[in-house]
Order: sequence, then C-alpha cells, then structure tokens
Amino acid sequence: MTIGNKPLNYWEVYMSNKAAKNLFIFGSLFFFVIFLALTFDTMSTLDKRAPEITEKVNAGKMVWHKYDCIGCHTILGNGSYFAPDMTKVVERKPAGYLKKFLMDPKAVNPKAAMPKFGITSEEADNLLTFLDWISKVDTNGWPPKPILAVAAGVGGGELTSGQKIYQAQGCSGCHMINGIGGTTGPELTKVGSRRDGKWLHEHFEDPSKVVANSAMPSYKHLGDQALNELTEYMLTLK
Amino acid sequence: MTVKYEGQKIAQNFYTFAVLLFLVQVLVGIIAAIQFMKPDFFILNFNIIRTLHINSLVVWLLVGFMGATYYVITEESETELWNIPLAKFQFWATVLTITLVVLGYIWMGINPQANSLIMGINPLNEGREYIEAPRWADILIVVSVLLFLFNCVMTVLKTKKWTGIQGVLLSGLVFLALMYIPGMFYTKSMVKDQFWWWWVVHLWVEGSWEIIAGALLAFMLMKTIGAKREVLEKWMYIEVGLVLFTGILGTGHHYYWIGTPSYWLWVGGIFSSLEPVPLLFMVWDAFRTTREARNVTNRPGLFYTVAHAIFNFVGAGLWGVIHTLPQVNKWTHGTQLTTAHGHLAFYGAYVLLVIAMIYVTLPSIRGVKEYNPSRAYLSFWWMTISMVFIVLTITGAGMVQTYMERLMGLDYVAVKTTYNFWFWVLRAIFGVGFLIGVGIFVIDYFKLGKEPMPVISAAPEKA
Repeated sequence: MTIGNKPLNYWEVYMSNKAAKNLFIFGSLFFFVIFLALTFDTMSTLDKRAPEITEKVNAGKMVWHKYDCIGCHTILGNGSYFAPDMTKVVERKPAGYLKKFLMDPKAVNPKAAMPKFGITSEEADNLLTFLDWISKVDTNGWPPKPILAVAAGVGGGELTSGQKIYQAQGCSGCHMINGIGGTTGPELTKVGSRRDGKWLHEHFEDPSKVVANSAMPSYKHLGDQALNELTEYMLTLK
Repeated sequence: MTVKYEGQKIAQNFYTFAVLLFLVQVLVGIIAAIQFMKPDFFILNFNIIRTLHINSLVVWLLVGFMGATYYVITEESETELWNIPLAKFQFWATVLTITLVVLGYIWMGINPQANSLIMGINPLNEGREYIEAPRWADILIVVSVLLFLFNCVMTVLKTKKWTGIQGVLLSGLVFLALMYIPGMFYTKSMVKDQFWWWWVVHLWVEGSWEIIAGALLAFMLMKTIGAKREVLEKWMYIEVGLVLFTGILGTGHHYYWIGTPSYWLWVGGIFSSLEPVPLLFMVWDAFRTTREARNVTNRPGLFYTVAHAIFNFVGAGLWGVIHTLPQVNKWTHGTQLTTAHGHLAFYGAYVLLVIAMIYVTLPSIRGVKEYNPSRAYLSFWWMTISMVFIVLTITGAGMVQTYMERLMGLDYVAVKTTYNFWFWVLRAIFGVGFLIGVGIFVIDYFKLGKEPMPVISAAPEKA
C-alpha cells in the first residue's frame, strides 16, 4: 500500500500504537485468567494423584530442604543434575541400604561422591518415608522405563517366568513391546488393556480360532502352565 | 554527553555490584565444573557452590535491572529521581542483605547442622533451587524491591510522562515482584511445592524478565541509533504481548511430570512451542532498526544489544524448544540438556542484556563522549565463543545421558563418571575461557571513560 510515493508498512496502517498496547494488556490478562482457572482445577486434583501426606512424610520433606538435597540431586526431574534423580530411588535400592548410605555414604560405598552431612537415624527414616511417598505420585509415566533395559530384562529385578517364555520362544521376532521387536505381528505394548486372560490363553492354543486368518502358529505344545504364565505377563502390559 | 539528572548516577552503584557478583558467579561456576570431575575438590560441597552460582546470577541480573531502571525512568520522565537518598539506602540495604545470605550459605556449607529449623524455618537455606534465600531474606528482598518500585513510580508521577517504554518496564517489574510471592510459603506436598515454585521461576525468566528485556531493547535501540520511538514502541507491545500469550500457559511445560494432571501435556506442549516466536520478532526488530541506522552514537552498546537479541532467541528460544514437546521431554527431562539450555538462555537473554545496558548508559553516567571500544569487543568474543562451546559440551553430555540412562537403562553415576567425563573436562576448559572474557569486561567496566582516548580509535570506522 502506498500513499503518494511513500510505501507504508502494513502494520503502520492497520495497527496503531494504542491498539498494540491494548492487545498487550487485555491479551495478557486473558491468558492469565485461563492460567488461573487451570491452576484452580489442578489444585483440586493433586491430592488424589498422590498418597496421603502423613506427619512423617512432611518431616522427611523438611529434612530434604534442611540439607539442600536439591543442590545436587533432582526430584521429579527438577534440581541440579549433579547426582541421581530421587523420584523412584526407593524402587531401585533397598531401604536398609539407603538408610546406611544417607548416614555415612562413603562407609557404604567408598567411591560415593556424597559427603557425610550428619543425618541422624530419625532424619534418615523420615527422609525415606518422604521418598517412598514421592515414588507413588502419579507422574504421567515419568521417568519412562528404559526401553532397551526392559527388553533385555535388566531394568530392575529378575525376569518373570512369563518373560522368560516370551524370550525363549522368540516372540519379539514378530511382536513389539516398548519399541523393541518385530513389526510383523500386532504390537503388544498395551495388549493387557485390550485383551483378557481367557482370550489370550485361547489365542495361544489356537490363534486362528479367535483371529481369522491369523498366521501365528499354535503354542499348545508348551502346556497349560507355561501358557498361563505367558498370559499373566501379557496382562501386565498396559 | 553527560547525564542530565543526579538520579541516573545511582545506576552506577548497582552496575558495580552486579559486575562484581558476575565475577563471583563465574569463579564458583568453574569450581562447580571441576567438582563434576572431582567432587571433593573444594572446601564447600557442590550443593553450596551451585547455590552460590545460580543465586549470584539471579541477584546480579536483578540488581542490573534495578540500576538500568533508575537510569531509564529518570531519562524517560525527564525529571530528577523522586528520592535519591532512598535509592542509595535501597542499594546499600540490598548489598547488606545479599552479603548476609551469602555468608549464611557458606556457614551452612561448613556446618550443615547450622540450617536446623528455628521456629519452623530454615535460617540459612530453604533448600529450594533458585530461591534458596531464607524467609527473613525473602522479606527484606521484597521490601527492597517495593522501595525501588515506589521510588520509580513516584518519579513517573512527577511529570506523568507515561511513555510506552517506561510503562512496559514498570509493569514487567511489578509482575516480577508479584511473582516472587508464590515462592514464599511452605507446602507439605512436594508436588504443590514445585507447582508454585515454577510460578516464580518460569514466570520470571519466561515472563516478567522477557517483558523487561523487551522494554530495554526498545530503549537501547532508541539510544544507540536514534530509531523512531513510535515504531519501536509498537513492536515492543507486540513482542511483550506475544511473550505473555505464549509464556503464561507455556508454564505448562514444567507440569508434565511432577504429579499434575495430563491436560498440561497439551497446554504446555502447544504454548511453549510458540515461545520462540516473540524472541524471533525481537531479532528481526533489532536488525530492521539497525539497517535503517544513520548515525550510530555508541557502537559497543549497539553491538551488545543486537547480540543480546540473537542469543536470546538461540538460547532461550531454540535450545528450549528442541525438548519442550512432551514426547521428547519425557526422555530428556532432568538431564544435562536442561543445563545446556539454562546456560545459553541466561547468557543470551539476560547477561548480554545487562552488559548491553551498561555499555549504552555508562559512558553518559561517566560523562564521556567517546571511549576505546576494543576491550568491549574482545571480552564479547571470549565470553560468547566460550559459552557456545560450554553449551555444546553440555548438550553432548545430555544427549549421551538421554541415550544411555533413559533409553538403555545405564546407571546415572556410571554415565556421569565414565561416558561423560571428557565433556566435563572440555566444559571446565571453556569455563576458564569464559572467565578470561569476564575478566576483560570487569577491567573495561572500571576503566571506561577514566583513561585518555588512544589516537588510533578516534575514527569510529576502526570499531
């Protein structure tokens, strides 16, 4: 657009300073009101997404603050990235070990980077109660289970007998769980939420009976007990 | 070319304190970098060093904003500061409070039990990242900020020249002060603790601080190249508007995994993906205005202004947006990638901003028309190249960590002490490079305008 010989910027014509200012003020207020509404809604749901907070959990949280644990560690993924995340630590290590470690880290593990702070036995108990509480908070699936470790069965703990059968029979040649495995057969990552135990068992005995034109062979020869164990494993995949 | 009002000279007090804290921040940063390789390296443990590193950063930037604001408000209002003794009192009260807080951290580092509860309150350290300052210090800081804001508002009211720049600057500062309050109460739930904590941290650095940056950017472009106020202010409104339209709900990208409902995955993902847009506008604004420049009066000032706009976009925008979507963030959350983003974002968005404001305003405060710019450029390249490499090494460490810990399931400590070791070595080396840049800047800050102009740089083309 031009007026005379002077080309004019689109904005200079269609948007005055005052309009820009009003857009800034009222637009920001608009988004802040939405944010407040979402905050209000979130606050009403938080207690349902976590176990009850006992006095001991709170005492443990205060220990967490007192020693500035977040100055090295992260919790719920937030913190200082210098030491391991504490959200699920009680699932990874036995409580007895953690308590001894907290009270004197280098006595338990000479290579530990953590210094001895003088954490008392009572403080350690409270802190572990707090860490147990935080491990049970519904975090929308974070931290994710490491996919390769889960596939190899080293993501914490012994393989269940169902998992062993899954590996021994080479099921992952065709099926995929958490991104690992073949794409020939249906993905099984969430098979436990799609199928019930009866269906799965029947399917292992004679796949084409429940899925028309199924190309999967029958595994009836493994016997009832093995198929039950495999079914149980499938049902954990949700 | 000297300042018209005595009140503008107050800015220099704040700048000096900021510059010294900047030096402290980088020195303890190097200690922290060495502790990644040797945790027992220093008398104070990493948690105290890290607290000092991030707290000195936050404080020196805030103090820098305050100094810059005293300068801008008097200049824009075309009147003397409402109460100069009050500003001086506010300055020394702030210095005293910060010194006490720092001594408290050091004491706690030597004797951790000194932080035991007194009347239900941790006396030395709240144990909450970035806002570790204990409650008594919180209150003193709020009083200091309120005195500062009151002085500024009274100055504006003297002449009632509500320019867009000072209106936006003050609204950013009021927003900043308000957003400190959600960090000042205790909650028994760690989920609620982190929820409100992000109000402070996110709505500061991706909200109110970016508003301040938008206002100061417009001011600096106006001062260094005499760009037209009407055009600058319109773009400023659009930029800071977009900052809040995206940034407020963008807070949701911190509410993916902390125990909050899953609708935040949608809200945070969508709005935080748009957060780089206003920062890109600022870059475009800086280039467009500079291209039209006829008479540049302060080349180092302009240089730092444009550099701030670029690295604000790269550090805060690009390095953040790469892992802001929940599908990516699920794997990268809590890894070194966040550290990498944090370093480049704070450097680009706020370190360069405060240094730019110093170069734009200090010559007139010191009453010099021209000064030798060579150290200003030299320190910029030492700092910026070092910071880019620091960020690349941490990004590398973060990618290795994401792959090995999150995807393969290796132990955190195994990844940190073995696979990422050489990244830490390189980061420490580039940290020393950054310290050299800061050293040159600090020398330049204290010498600017106080030494005779060398003949060679009399011609501005030499810059």
